[in-house]
Amino acid sequence: MNRPASAWNLPRPFGARSLCVLLLVLVLGFFAGQRVEMGRMLSLTAEGVLAAVGLREQSQVLSGLGTIARSLFPPQISQRTEVARIEGFDRNRLPWFSHVETVETREPRLNPQTLQMEERIDSREELVEPFGYLWHVAAKMLETFEIAIWATLLAIVLSAPLAWCSAKNYTPHRVVYTLARSVVGLCRAVPELVSALFLVLAYGFGPIAGVLALALHSAGFLGKFYAEDIETADDKPQEALRAIGANKLKVMRFAVLPQVMPQFIAYTLYVLDRNVRMATVVGLVGAGGIGQELKGRYDMYNYAHVGTILVAIFLTVLVLDRLAARLRSRYA
Amino acid sequence: MLNFESVAMRYADGTQALGGVSLQVPAGQFCVVLGSSGAGKSTLLRMANGLVKPTRGTVQVEGVRIADGSLARIRPRIGMIHQQFNLVARSSVADNVLAGALPAMPTWRALLGLFTDEARRKACELVESVGLQEQHLLRRVSELSGGQQQRVGIARAFMLEPPLVLADEPVASLDPQTSHDVLSLLRTQARERGTTVLCSLHQIELACEFADRIVALRHGAVVFDGAPGAFDPQVFEAIYGREPMPARSEGHATEPAAALPLHAGALELAR
Repeated sequence: MNRPASAWNLPRPFGARSLCVLLLVLVLGFFAGQRVEMGRMLSLTAEGVLAAVGLREQSQVLSGLGTIARSLFPPQISQRTEVARIEGFDRNRLPWFSHVETVETREPRLNPQTLQMEERIDSREELVEPFGYLWHVAAKMLETFEIAIWATLLAIVLSAPLAWCSAKNYTPHRVVYTLARSVVGLCRAVPELVSALFLVLAYGFGPIAGVLALALHSAGFLGKFYAEDIETADDKPQEALRAIGANKLKVMRFAVLPQVMPQFIAYTLYVLDRNVRMATVVGLVGAGGIGQELKGRYDMYNYAHVGTILVAIFLTVLVLDRLAARLRSRYA
Repeated sequence: MLNFESVAMRYADGTQALGGVSLQVPAGQFCVVLGSSGAGKSTLLRMANGLVKPTRGTVQVEGVRIADGSLARIRPRIGMIHQQFNLVARSSVADNVLAGALPAMPTWRALLGLFTDEARRKACELVESVGLQEQHLLRRVSELSGGQQQRVGIARAFMLEPPLVLADEPVASLDPQTSHDVLSLLRTQARERGTTVLCSLHQIELACEFADRIVALRHGAVVFDGAPGAFDPQVFEAIYGREPMPARSEGHATEPAAALPLHAGALELAR
C-alpha cells in the first residue's frame, strides 16, 4: 500500500504504552520502597537537617554522626611502645625522630605489712615515635596497593585466554566458547568479599587470599569486556590478513589488538582503580592490607586509629582517581 | 596462472552470484573485470584466494587447486587490495605494510613484532616506491588521505612478492584523479615484477587505459572478453543494460558519477 507522505505514521514519544509502563514502575517502586523503609529514611533525614539548622532540639541521625566524628577525631598519628616489649632494643640506635620517655604512674596500693593504703610510683620507659602510626598506616596502604597491582596483573593474564575462547569469532570450538563464557560469568558472579572469605580458609590470613580473590573477580570482568571488544572490532583489516594466509594469532596481534587497545587500557585502569578500593574491603575478612588493620583497630575500640586509616584510604582513592583519569585521557 | 573452471556461486539467501564462469588469466596479464554492482565481480575475485568457496567448479592458482588443505600454502602467494583499503587505521604505515609479511614468519616472532631486517628493509623500499616518504612511515594510517591509504594497501600487497595480486575495486572510494594515479601505480608495480593482476573496476575509461584484457560480467556470466580496443557501445549495453549516454539526468547511485559522463570520450581515446 502506497500512501502519500502526509499520511505516513511516525510514532511520537510518550505514547499510551510508555505511560502505562511508567505507572507500573511507580506502583512497584512504591511498594518496594515501603518494604525498605524509605519513609522512615526520609523523616529521619528531615529531622537531622532541621536539627542541624537549629529548628529542632535533637535528632537520632545527627547525634549518631556526632558520636562517630568525636570518636574518630583527632586521628592517631604517633605511636608509643613500651621499651621492655621491644625485642633487641638498642638505646643508641633509635628510629628516626623518636625518643624515649619515662612515664610515671601513681597508683594506690595496700601494703600488706601495715594494712594501709600507700601510693606507689611505677616508672616505665616508652619509645615515642611522633609519626609512628602514620608510617604504619602508610606501609599497610602500600601493601593494599601492591595487592591491587598484583591482582590486576593476574587478572590480565587469566582473562586473555578466557577472552580468546569467549569471543565468537576466535573461539576454537562452540563447546569451548560455552565453557569459557560460563567460567567468565562465574568469576564475575562471586563477589570478592565472599571468595576472600573462603580463600582465607584455604591460604590463611594475609595478602595471598586478597590477591587471588580480587584477581578471580577482575578476570571475569576483563574477560567479558575484552571478548566483547574482540567480537565487535572492525573485520576489514582482519579479512585483509586472513586473505594472505595469516593465522588467527597473527591476525589478533596485528589487526585486532591495535584496534581495541584504547578500550583495553581503559578497562584495565578501571579494574586497577576498583581493585585498590576493593583491596581495602577484602582486608576486613583477613585478606591482608589496610582493611585487616582497620578491622583489628575497630574491634579494639581504637577509634582514633580508625580515623587515621579512613583518612588514608580516602586520600589514596582520591589520588588514584585523578591519576587514572590522566592516564586514560592520555592513552585511551 | 589463474584458472577458473566453470565456477558457480549461490549464496545461502538464494542469490545466484555466478553461474558457471570459466576464465584463464595467463601470467603477467593485467586483467580488469567490469560489471555493474551485483554482477559477481567481487565473488569471482574472492574465489581466487578462497575467501569465497564456489558451490560448483574449481579454481587453480599456479596449477594448485584452491581447497581447504592448500589454502595456507597458496594464500601467501596471492596479494590482495581492497576497496575500503582494509588497513588498521590506528596503526602506523610501517606496521600495516609489515603485516603483509606475517604469513611468512613464525608465529612467536609475529606476536613479538620481531620482523626480520630483510622484511623491514623491504617495507621501507615499498613505502618509497608507492610514492610516500620517510616522514609517513610512523604516521597513523587514519591521518593519511584516501589515495595515500590505498598506496599503503598496495605496498602491503607486494610485501611477499606474490606472483598474483587481486584488486577488489581498488579505486571505488577515490576521486577520479587519485583513482588514475593509484591504478597507474598498481600497473607499474605489477609490470616491474611481472605480477599477474586481476582487478575489478567500475570506471570503463580507466579499464580501457590500463588493462591488457577486459572481462565483463552481467548477472554472473561473462558477456565480454577481449582487448580494450574491442570495447564499444554494444558491449557497454551488454554489460549495463543501457546505452552509454550522458548520465546526468539519471543520478545513478551505484556507479561513480564520474565514470559515465566521461565514458563516450574515453572510448574514443582508447581507440
